[in-house]
Amino acid sequence: MSGTDGEWPSDAELLRRHVAGDGDAFGELFRRHRDRLWAVALRTVCDPEEAADALQDAMISAFRRAADFRGDSAVTTWLHRIVVNASLDRLRRRAVRPVTSAGDEQALEALLTHDPDPARATDTRLDVNAALRILPPPQRAALVVVDMLGFSVDDAAAILDCSPGTVKSRCARARARLLPYVAHLRGNRSDPERVSPAQGGDA
Amino acid sequence: MSEPKGMMTHPDAEVLAEFRAGLVAGRDGARISAHLADCVRCAGVCDQLAEVSALLAAVPPPALPDPVTQRLETALAAEAANRFSSERAVDPRSRERASTPGPRRRWDFRLVTLRVLAPAAAVVVLAAGGFGLSRIGSGPSSSVASGSAAVPAASAASASSAASAAAGSRTGNLPAVEAPARFGVVISGIDYLRATLARQLEGELGVYGRATGSARELASGPVKGCVLLVTRGIRPGTLVLVETARFQGQPANVIVAVSGHRDTAWVTTPACSASSHYVLDTTTLAGTSAA
Repeated sequence: MSGTDGEWPSDAELLRRHVAGDGDAFGELFRRHRDRLWAVALRTVCDPEEAADALQDAMISAFRRAADFRGDSAVTTWLHRIVVNASLDRLRRRAVRPVTSAGDEQALEALLTHDPDPARATDTRLDVNAALRILPPPQRAALVVVDMLGFSVDDAAAILDCSPGTVKSRCARARARLLPYVAHLRGNRSDPERVSPAQGGDA
Repeated sequence: MSEPKGMMTHPDAEVLAEFRAGLVAGRDGARISAHLADCVRCAGVCDQLAEVSALLAAVPPPALPDPVTQRLETALAAEAANRFSSERAVDPRSRERASTPGPRRRWDFRLVTLRVLAPAAAVVVLAAGGFGLSRIGSGPSSSVASGSAAVPAASAASASSAASAAAGSRTGNLPAVEAPARFGVVISGIDYLRATLARQLEGELGVYGRATGSARELASGPVKGCVLLVTRGIRPGTLVLVETARFQGQPANVIVAVSGHRDTAWVTTPACSASSHYVLDTTTLAGTSAA
């Protein structure tokens, strides 16, 4: 899942140039993968502001730690791993606050209500984050990486820093937990997700 | 619902999901297989589990919103500038520049530091020398700053001790002010704009001159922590300006430091401290060594 087949310079080459002092290489690497990295952060954290912070933390960390990259996985795997870790860190820090907020319960409520009003139904349908939010973060991260981004179980294990069996188990439990929301997720299918331009705006 | 022949109760969805993931082996797995062959209900659950995955896969990944893109590009550019400047630290030109007091070193030693009771931060005010005062806008420290305005710049040295004494009385029983910081934070009401940041800063520095100093010379506090973090990698003695001002109408810190042969400016949120910095914008200025 490199997503960069045929692109030159390769990801690994860009990273090597960055380590060697090329001032533009890392920016190029970021631009190449930013949407997928953003998807991981946003889906894992379930909040655009926090996701933007997590992604920034992750990119700064990757920038500084590039020399530590061993090349035993794809660069994208390494980048995703850093983003997932930064996202889970954010969630851990946030966990000091109550786990289930009123907002989450309202989101659940909205999910389970079959609203005949098409306008409101659209709003509900668009928010896949609301469905993901009911999952415990480790399960959520596994499901996002495997089912939403299409990484293999082995790559996901490298990204999530756990065994392939754990990846499978987390995904399985997450899918079972999402069963009641299949109808909600169905509504998502053909709709390009609307992204508000204000998301994650200037702090 | 047909009753399963194997006398098995319906496995719950989680078990079925684990089975589908290949996690249930041996006799348990065989029993579930047999059960699924006969049980429409559980087969339906399996179909739905597959559908969950398929539906999630079909959700298009959201594009990174433009403001976040901009913010990240800025943060990475700041990182690159830091790295560049730390690599330049061995450059003889910058060494000479940092150690030789040039004609532009106008702020050094003329700064008087006052610890002002600002809401959340120890703020250092540029107090001596008329050039600084015109920059001080409305802010929590403006009354203190104007109190010092009468001090003639010519007697900067004595003004320094007098103002320090004044600061001591103002701060009352606060912990003693540390050794006066040699590099002061300028407080201004200037509203920098993204589109004109470089031009505004070059104008400011051109009018008021430059001093170079080290982040370590700042008075302790969040602002110092912020500067140390943002300029990490820049050798001591190359700080040009630290200013609390506004950016796009919002309170912000502005930091300018020598970066190679040019100067780099960072704009951070006011919450910036030693532990976290969120750079709102960065730009490159024509540095003094380029002049």
